[in-house]
Order: sequence, then C-alpha cells, then structure tokens
Amino acid sequence: MEFFKYGEDAIRIVFGNTIDHTTHTLLRRYYFFLKSLRLKGIRNIIPSFTTCLIHFDSEVTSFQHIVSTLHKRRNELESVEVPEPMLHEIPVMYGGEYGPDMEYVTSYSGLTEEEVIEIHTGTIYTVFAVGFMPGFPYLGPLDKRLYSPRLETPRLKVPEGSVGIAQLQTGIYPFESPAGWRIIGKTNIPLFDYRKPPYSLMQIGDMVQFVRI
Amino acid sequence: MIEIISPAWLSIIVDEGRYGYGDIGVPPSSPLDLTAYKAIGYLCGSSRSNHPVIEVMGNDFTMKIHTDMVCAITGALVNIFCDDKPVQPWTPFLVKKGSVVRVREVIEGLRYYVGFSGTMEIETIMDSFSTNIECRFGGYKGRPLMRGDRIDIKDIEERTIVPFPVDLIPRMNQPHDMRLIPGFEIDHFISDAIQRFVEKGEPLWYTISSKSNRTGIRLEGEPLIFRNGVEKSIVSEGIVLGTVQVAGDGMPIIMLSERTIGGYTRIGTIAKVDHDRLAHVKPSDRINFIPVTIDDAERLWHHKVQSLSFLYTH
Repeated sequence: MEFFKYGEDAIRIVFGNTIDHTTHTLLRRYYFFLKSLRLKGIRNIIPSFTTCLIHFDSEVTSFQHIVSTLHKRRNELESVEVPEPMLHEIPVMYGGEYGPDMEYVTSYSGLTEEEVIEIHTGTIYTVFAVGFMPGFPYLGPLDKRLYSPRLETPRLKVPEGSVGIAQLQTGIYPFESPAGWRIIGKTNIPLFDYRKPPYSLMQIGDMVQFVRI
Repeated sequence: MIEIISPAWLSIIVDEGRYGYGDIGVPPSSPLDLTAYKAIGYLCGSSRSNHPVIEVMGNDFTMKIHTDMVCAITGALVNIFCDDKPVQPWTPFLVKKGSVVRVREVIEGLRYYVGFSGTMEIETIMDSFSTNIECRFGGYKGRPLMRGDRIDIKDIEERTIVPFPVDLIPRMNQPHDMRLIPGFEIDHFISDAIQRFVEKGEPLWYTISSKSNRTGIRLEGEPLIFRNGVEKSIVSEGIVLGTVQVAGDGMPIIMLSERTIGGYTRIGTIAKVDHDRLAHVKPSDRINFIPVTIDDAERLWHHKVQSLSFLYTH
C-alpha cells in the first residue's frame, strides 16, 4: 500500500495495479477502516478498483496529519467491522431496442445473442466501485469472451437503466446520461434514490446477478 | 422573496458543495469560482457557512425583488442595474420591495454569483443546496432556474455595506495561465510539446472548445500522442476537481466537480490556486499550462488563503 499526494487536497492510496479480488478485499476493508476513524476535515472517500482517494479540506487537516494518523491507528484495521455484501438480482431486457449494441457485441465476439445473454447472466459480479455518477456500479470481472472495446465516440444519451459492457467490465447507468460503453440491455430497477438513505442500491463489494426477462 | 424574470443562459443554485457521498458516486457540484462564492457570504453577511447562492452564466440575468435586503454579485465583472441605476459588482447594494435587478452584460469572465443578506428558502438534498443538473436533484426542484420561479428569503440580517478590497478582485481575461502539477500517466505520451513542458517548463497551450460544460472543459489544439503499446485508458479511479484527463483522441479535458471517478489517462492536476479561473474560461479562449511542483502549488495556495483570510479561515 502506497500513499501519494493528488493535488494539494487529496491522498491517493494505491493497493495494487491489477483488478483482482485480493486487492478488492483489502481495499474494501481499508475503506471501512477509514470511515470508522471519522477523521476531521475529510470531504470524500472514493474507493475504486485499485485505489482509494481521500479528498480533504486543507484548511482543516493535511496530508501529513492524515497519513500519520492512519499509520498510528493501523492496528484497528483488522478489527474494523466489514458488512456482509448484499446480493442484488437485476432483471434485464436484452437486445432489440433495449440493447442497441447487442449486434456489435455478437459480431465482435463471434457469439450468438443467446450465448451473449447466457454468458452475461451466468456470472455473479462484484461491485468494484460506485461512481463517476451517483449509483453507477462498476461490475466485474466480465467473461473474457464478452470483451468489447468502448465506443470511439460516446453516445450523447442513453436511457436510465441501460446495461453496458466495456473491456472486462459491465455496469448499469442509473440516470439518462452520455455513455461510452456498449449497451446490451435495460433494467427497470431504480439504482439511486436521493430521498432515501443509503441512496444507492449498490455499495462497494455487493454482488450482482443479472436475470433475463 | 425574489422572482426570476430572466435566468440568462444558465442559472443554478449552488452552495459550498455536496460532500460525504463520493463513495456512492455523488459529485460535489460545488461553485466553480470558490472565492467569488465565499465573497457573497462576506459581503452579504449570511451567517450560514454553507449558504446557497445563484451561479449564473450569460448576459441579461434579471430578477424582481419582493423583500427589502442587501444583494451582491461577485465573480465575472458585469454591468449591473438596480432600477436602471448602475451598481458595482463585488460590492453589496440595498434592494427594496419592487426593485428590479438586471445584469445587462458580462465584461470580463464567465460565471457570476448572486446572493442576499438572507437565506434562499429551498430544500437541501443529501446535506446540500447544490444543483446536480445531470441527475436532476438539489437546487431549485433539481433544475436550472426559469422565468417566473419564486424563492422566499428567510433570516434576513441587518448589514453594514462593506465593499470587497478592489485589489483582491482577480482578473479573469484570457490568456488563462494555469499552473499544472504534472503527474500520473504523463509518461504515456511522447509528444515534443509534453517533453518541452516537463523538461524545460515551456507552456503547453490549447484553446477552449465550445463543447465544454459544467462537467468538463474540453481543449483543442495539437493532440497529445500516446506512446506505442500504452493503454489509452486506465483502471477507473477517484478523481478531483482540476484533473486533466486525455481522451483517446489525444485531446485534454479538465474535469470539474460533476464526476467522482475517471478512466482516461491523466497528465496532471491544475494547482488549486488557479481553480477559480476555471469558472471563467470561454470557448476559443487560450489556456497555457505552466508546470509547477506540488510543493510550490501548496505554497501558492497558502499565500492565496492568507491574502483572503477573511474568506478562507473558518
């Protein structure tokens, strides 16, 4: 684990450089450890695949202060309570008008639509990160047979609930938004509700199983 | 109460930012010119530390006032008229029931901030007044202000009129010199320009694209060339305001405060001392990136906070 400055008011903690479950498990524990410390002046903690970013208020605390506190209290890392991940079943309408890139994915992979759906629903995915926009789960790892490059030019708009794949990841767009991932289907399950804590259906570490409808 | 007669091009409610939810992808949606935002609190004496103000872009913002109070407009230098009498930006002025305040023209800069000696009565969403335009929550009913919108003002405080120190009002004209802390994947690029930037400290310059918005400022110019064999994207990870990402086509994008995670390669982070200026870059303006070390960037920021201590000390 290494600590780097990210600009004047953020700390980038690097846990590894590949997407794997060992890195994820350690990082997730560290994220709950960070939250449990309730340090003063912390604005955001953003855990993702291989790094955890701490954004702080430089008028209240500092890089040095946070890093030394983390070292001092590192013995609490082992005892911190890490919640059980939830398993979410997500019904998806695949292909057709709901999956404008299904055709591309079948031709790129050389698989039939049936096979693509079977493979996509045949894995239980891990939520490696939630972000870029509220409630968007970065899910993986995706079966190598479904590997698809991102769009060269992102679409200006995809509807909320769109299910996409990109490289070895899959994800769901909680809001209508621009999108560079290949869209293969759509779900009607709401992923984000700003009125109801914990707001995001998915939290880091949760499990997702797609079900065809 | 205030009533919007014309929202100019885009008027949204912002406060200091929506913090604490970065782990579920909720971005800060903070004011782009933080100094101008904080100046409203100083000039109007709103005692809340996280007061809502209106962030406006474009000429012709007009509102009708239904309550006696103090108003101030900071940020871009603008021509303001209160009942056809000119008033100064960055200086509080009295408004009365029936007054019409109109920003006729933006002279220098892009975004300006409108605030009052009371608190706009709007709902907080996830602890913040800020508008998340893309996801349609926060601010005024989750959307930009429109003609006819009415907002009550509560807790109006008595206020002595103190202007902002004139010598502390920043300039906002192009060219925009932005100090950049080089880093991350900058060695993924082989362009001459990058080499001269890193080794000799020569500026790396671009023009602002008209495709810029509140999520990111897109740049146009000489595309950066990826080294052979490097990935054009990285494993997605947390980013902060001012991160300069490079899209697959070699064009940089300055990320603002509407994204928590990014997956493009990065050449660095804009020093915080220059963040306010990001609110004021306009399409076709020239921007110069000037390399700065993190230590110098921290020093520059410290100086800025000291010279504006009446805004930045808690």
